[in-house]
Amino acid sequence: MPTREPAGPVTEPSYLDVSHGLKSWMLTLDHKRIGLMYLFGILIALIVGGSFALLLRTELWDTGKTIVGQDTYNQFFTLHGAVMVFLVIIPGIPAALGNIMMPIQLGAPDVAFPRLNLASFYLWVTGAIMLVLTIPFGGLDTGWTLYTPYSLASQSAVLIATLGVFVLGFSSIFTGLNFLVTIHKFRPQGMGWFQMPLNVWAIYATAIMQVLATPVLGITVLLLSVERFGHIGIFDPTLGGDPVLFQHFFWFYSHPAVYIMIIPGMGVISELISTFSRKPLFGYRFVAYSSVSLALLSFLVWGHHMFVSGQSRLANMVFSALTFTVGIPSAIKVFNWVATLYKGDIRLKTPMLYALSFLLLFTIGGLTGLFLGILSVDVHLHDTYFVVAHFHYVMMGSTLVAFLGALHFWWPKFTGRWYPEQLGKICSAGVFFGFNLTFLPQFVMGARGMPRRYWDYDPQFRIFHQLSTIGAYVLGLSLFTTVVYLFWSFKNGKKAPRNPWGGSSLEWQAPTPPPLYNFETPPILHELYNYDDIVEVEEDVWERQLPEHVHEVAAAVATVKAARVEAAASIEVPPTERNEALVRGIATEESAPVTREEVKAVVAAGALPVEEAKAAAKLAEVAHDKTEIRNDEAAAKAETASEEAAHVAQQLKKKDEEPKS
Amino acid sequence: MSVPHGPHDDAHGGHHGSHFIQHHYDDAQHQFDSGKLGIWIFLAQEVLFFSALFVAYVLYRVHHPEIYSYAHKYLQVKFGAINTGVLIFSSLTAAWAVRCAQLSQRTGLMACIAVTILCACGFLGIKYKEYSHKIHEHILFGRYFDPCVSSGGEELLTKGNECEGSKSNVAYDKAAGKASSGCLAMKKIDQDPKTEGVQATCEVKETHGGKGTPIVHMCPAHVFSDSPGMTDEPEAKAKAEKAEPKEEFPCWEPAYQPAVCKDTEVGILVLYGPDDHQERGEDYKIDATCKDAPVVPAAADPYTNAAGQAIQVGKPAIHRGHELTAHEIRELDEEHEIAGPPPEHTNMFFTIYFAMTGLHGIHVLVGIGVFTWLLYRSWRGDFTPDYFGPVDFAALYWHIVDLIWIFLFPLLYLIH
Repeated sequence: MPTREPAGPVTEPSYLDVSHGLKSWMLTLDHKRIGLMYLFGILIALIVGGSFALLLRTELWDTGKTIVGQDTYNQFFTLHGAVMVFLVIIPGIPAALGNIMMPIQLGAPDVAFPRLNLASFYLWVTGAIMLVLTIPFGGLDTGWTLYTPYSLASQSAVLIATLGVFVLGFSSIFTGLNFLVTIHKFRPQGMGWFQMPLNVWAIYATAIMQVLATPVLGITVLLLSVERFGHIGIFDPTLGGDPVLFQHFFWFYSHPAVYIMIIPGMGVISELISTFSRKPLFGYRFVAYSSVSLALLSFLVWGHHMFVSGQSRLANMVFSALTFTVGIPSAIKVFNWVATLYKGDIRLKTPMLYALSFLLLFTIGGLTGLFLGILSVDVHLHDTYFVVAHFHYVMMGSTLVAFLGALHFWWPKFTGRWYPEQLGKICSAGVFFGFNLTFLPQFVMGARGMPRRYWDYDPQFRIFHQLSTIGAYVLGLSLFTTVVYLFWSFKNGKKAPRNPWGGSSLEWQAPTPPPLYNFETPPILHELYNYDDIVEVEEDVWERQLPEHVHEVAAAVATVKAARVEAAASIEVPPTERNEALVRGIATEESAPVTREEVKAVVAAGALPVEEAKAAAKLAEVAHDKTEIRNDEAAAKAETASEEAAHVAQQLKKKDEEPKS
Repeated sequence: MSVPHGPHDDAHGGHHGSHFIQHHYDDAQHQFDSGKLGIWIFLAQEVLFFSALFVAYVLYRVHHPEIYSYAHKYLQVKFGAINTGVLIFSSLTAAWAVRCAQLSQRTGLMACIAVTILCACGFLGIKYKEYSHKIHEHILFGRYFDPCVSSGGEELLTKGNECEGSKSNVAYDKAAGKASSGCLAMKKIDQDPKTEGVQATCEVKETHGGKGTPIVHMCPAHVFSDSPGMTDEPEAKAKAEKAEPKEEFPCWEPAYQPAVCKDTEVGILVLYGPDDHQERGEDYKIDATCKDAPVVPAAADPYTNAAGQAIQVGKPAIHRGHELTAHEIRELDEEHEIAGPPPEHTNMFFTIYFAMTGLHGIHVLVGIGVFTWLLYRSWRGDFTPDYFGPVDFAALYWHIVDLIWIFLFPLLYLIH
């Protein structure tokens, strides 16, 4: 009698409907609402940062002045970088989508510290406002890296920007702290570290880096701010300070930050590829460990940003060698994803299209990173468009694409609405082709010597710049359309089912959209990434079919429990404390106590198999003997009997599984 | 298959004990454990936050040990030691407060928290005294480093000398053959006027008070009777004897001839007082007429000095441009590091000092805020054996603040 797993009617209001009004959002402690507000802010920032990108690509359409002068151009690329890095990519997956989905994936009601979570969000908003405030206060022209000594001399609004980055850093630290504690303390009983979804693993690895790397950025930009108004001299060579020290500090954060950006993307891709291939993820443990080892290695390679900054030759060689080790966990992931795809039942939905784009773009981005890790090659390629193309393939081609994939994947879950699937597919293709058209030419012109951040260029590069600009507009249009249809579908999309993709992790057991505390009934842990029992009952509606033996075993276990309860209850003992404890110990040995009503229901349900009848008889025997032997002996005997009964049930289960294999 | 947390089984009002147990936790223990892990992660973050400053400390110390061994003497070990004691004691009371909270001893809890707050305020009070002394004496970071006293505590007559930049920071323009900015480099004091970097020989012409009132009197000659560098001109002597008693006016000795002048006409001299206990005024400017220093002949042999004498390799080749004053002799008798001029970029030590102690001080301030809030809550009776997390977490925070100071104190005050 195969039955569907009880989804049950949803009685509680969803988190979107549980309360209304501005205040209920501004002061909410619900991780989903906070995540949704992050998401809203990040999409706005994406549009802002993207606009700067289009403006600077427009300027580069032709040599000389096209639309703006040099100074404005400097501000364009600085603000494009700062907004995209600090406001979009770093918080994109962890703070927005991680906040919304990670606790649900753990089966938890909320993150560990909901108030801290809200505080992180407001810190993010404050930092974002400060970064945007640089525009009316003189702009920012230092590049997002804020290198000294220029950032000490620049007439632009460096102070506001650095303080903004400081505030954003603490937003990131508190988010990471919150997630670390949540993952440690809110895993459900029975979910060990290696039963966690890989997205949670990735968020865990990210959180380690957020907590351990971001404080260094915090103190660095704080010192830079004090240097700006107090002239303390720590990075100022005229006062004896060391400007290269700033670079070391900056990259000690900003290199791990690259992994803060990419690792959550990798986590998402693991989920997407497994779900849409209908196959268990190949090498689960390797993928999980590679996230953590990437996080740890990321702390050891910052010097590869400074090969030409006057670092010692020994340091250069060490950092170069360490840089190559990063390739190992990255490659492990890529190979495992490809192995997962192999012979999979691949479904090309929008999220999967993004996942496949990711695979290709990340491979290009990662491999070109190895070129740059080679010392001699880096001297040639340093500060050229090759570097620009490389990190855009990683930051944008990988992280942003993974972010979009994740957004489409979980959008039906947390909004309860479908995005338009056809349009989604078209836009994902637009993103893929637009992206490659933008950045592939940059590899070529970079290798031919076009330096980055230049306002003007030699006419030989014109064709590459123009191709790149066309690509940027295709990309921009696709992204803008995506943002627009997502906003549209939030209210107007088709209603989404509980499990639209046939996912195996816990979030798909929660109602769509989830209620305030995510689950109405405690979710049941099934084997992760095992899709055998999940079937598509109608288009885009998947349900878990429980095999017959599960019910039989459940019934047998319940019967045995019932017999034990009977036995325990019929042992007449003086109501001393010890005896009572004894009886209760028997009655509640299993984690879930059985009530009398349940027992009766099971007994009424029907006949028992022979073995079980025997077990029950044995128990009855024990109960019968109670007058002849001492009470504690009876209890011991009952215990033995119950173990035997459990054993019988175990065998029953095995027998049931045999014909399957 | 197993059953995870049931958020709704016990979510609403199902908790026993303190009503501060938030609904999304299983029980008080779960909340406490989560908080404890959270605060430990936060402390790890704090360590990393300070780490950059420790790295900067190590970097500059490895590259410029002379700065550290010179400049740390400006710090008063006495104050640092008292503060260390105060902080360690407050860590004890903070830990004790946790114990009191666990045992529901409300009075004890409040007393412990109050003592902790008092200690923290005491720490900041002492810090305030140290800072204000340093600000007063211009022992500061960056370009504000322009000390009025030597690291041995002796006054350096530099106040109000209107230099551009600090003395330790003279930019020497080789092409022009003179200093392009800044004042006299202290380490050039004892050098021959012919030495590179010293541009002129100056004579004191006149002194001005800070508000423009001219002061015409020179010091009475007898003040400098032990100074062989002075000439006892009868006119000056008579003028000086006519003047008011020496205690009532600032008394200056044009002790050092070599000086870096702003232009060829008017220069600024760095002057040493004849005696440390002697009163001296502030905000006086000394004008002097300067003559161009003789051009240094190019040395044909690097081991030969300008006069053609052989230089002993391994020994400083410094020729005194004048006979030593008593003051100088005494200085030279003292330990070299105290007596000598500050090494170049001594300001960097104070950059590190102020950054580290300042950031630490901010943490102490935050601690005072947190403990004040806890004092209020414990007065309200919030804390029970079931719910004492905030006290525990604040105490842990306080221990890290203490611990950082325990590293700062020897690294800044006790080095050699």
